[in-house]
Amino acid sequence: MNMIPDFKSIATKSPWIYRINAGSCNGCDVEMATTALIPRYDIERLGCQYCGSPRHADIVLISGPLTTKVMDAAMVVFNEIPDPKVTVAVGVCPISGGIFRESYSVKAPIDQYFPVDVNVPGCPPRPQAIIEGVAKAIEIWRERM
Amino acid sequence: MSTQLGILLAVFLFPGGLFALVLGLSLKGLDRRVAARLQGRIGPPLAQPFFDLVKLSFKRTMVPATASQPVFLGAPLAGVVSMLVAVALVPVSGLYSPDPMLGNLIVLLYLLMVPAIVLMIAGSASTSPYGALGFSREMTLMLAYEAPIVLAVLAVALRTGMGQGGVITFSLVDIIAYQRSHGMFLLDPVMWPALAAFALFFPANLGIIPFDIPEAETEVLEGPLLEYSGPALGLFKVMSALKAVVVLSLGIALFMPLPFDGIWGLIGWLVQLAVLMEIGVTIVRLSMGRMRIDQAFSFFVKWPLLLAVASVVTVTVVA
Repeated sequence: MNMIPDFKSIATKSPWIYRINAGSCNGCDVEMATTALIPRYDIERLGCQYCGSPRHADIVLISGPLTTKVMDAAMVVFNEIPDPKVTVAVGVCPISGGIFRESYSVKAPIDQYFPVDVNVPGCPPRPQAIIEGVAKAIEIWRERM
Repeated sequence: MSTQLGILLAVFLFPGGLFALVLGLSLKGLDRRVAARLQGRIGPPLAQPFFDLVKLSFKRTMVPATASQPVFLGAPLAGVVSMLVAVALVPVSGLYSPDPMLGNLIVLLYLLMVPAIVLMIAGSASTSPYGALGFSREMTLMLAYEAPIVLAVLAVALRTGMGQGGVITFSLVDIIAYQRSHGMFLLDPVMWPALAAFALFFPANLGIIPFDIPEAETEVLEGPLLEYSGPALGLFKVMSALKAVVVLSLGIALFMPLPFDGIWGLIGWLVQLAVLMEIGVTIVRLSMGRMRIDQAFSFFVKWPLLLAVASVVTVTVVA
């Protein structure tokens, strides 16, 4: 029997979440807020916690099609997050641009600029889908520790 | 030689150090779990603060390029050390009384100020504008709650000192001994204003919701803690866990020490800590919104100060 506790798998029980809004219409942001805050979809039971500072974060949720205006700021904030980190793209906008596709001011798909690990498609995605995305991100994060 | 060994044991093992750290983190876990249950959620496991701490130890500590590195990394250490000594200064009724060499109530009041000062130093050393905002809010709040708490503690010290035939005593051991023979101050109407002032000081010192203005994550992005990551942030979590134990057990020592010894004293003390944490922290922070800094300041210079002055006056007149 292994007497030394497996600290790395203990560590993955505490994923802290940070949201980057890369030009989203706020639909996905509202869904993300409800996943954590309203009683029905309690993400805190996975040990998750929303944090105000990117320096505290482990899992990044990016929503929006990455507009040209917000791109540099989003890059700066993303690089402030200490490694190891996992990126989850929420909504259909990060994948293709969604309803904003082929616009002159949109840089989607965002995986040209950010190392996206998990995609959660939907416009907006259901809370259950976002929770599943976060659960998948935790598994990826465990491998990176 | 044995005095020094005793002090070291008290600071690092029981009731300070390891014991207080486990106790403080468990209280935080209980707080989060009960908060979730009151909101109809399932909530995190009880050991969640331990998981958070392990996780933070695996992360990288980033120091901002413009920050002063020794001050930035030294501030959380100073906070943790001050709280370790402070835990060892608070006696537990019938279980532990600190060595008189370590200090008395006045030293404890000074040590209780250190975490706020550490947060101010950390906020300004990080050179972040949010840190500077957190600095100014922390300082305003501290100036507001410091006077009432000193006066409330003074009222307790006066009551005990006069009850013992002297004038005033600043020894927590004497205060506990007096209450064990004459009944708790909790049941003494003369002490109720002081108790109320202490109860109002308590959420402000612990930085929970009506008064978590310096670290408001939705307004100033956790203020002084914004730039901290990894083990340095973990030290701040340790500091706040220890501070919860210090402030709660100070409240117990000043107003409601149990008349039990040994193992029943320990169990009673732990139950008191858990109940106070639920009433004083969880329910308060779930049922209120955050005050603005000017509202909090005018609140503190009005009601708690009035209560504390009233308590000192009544104690002097009655005795």
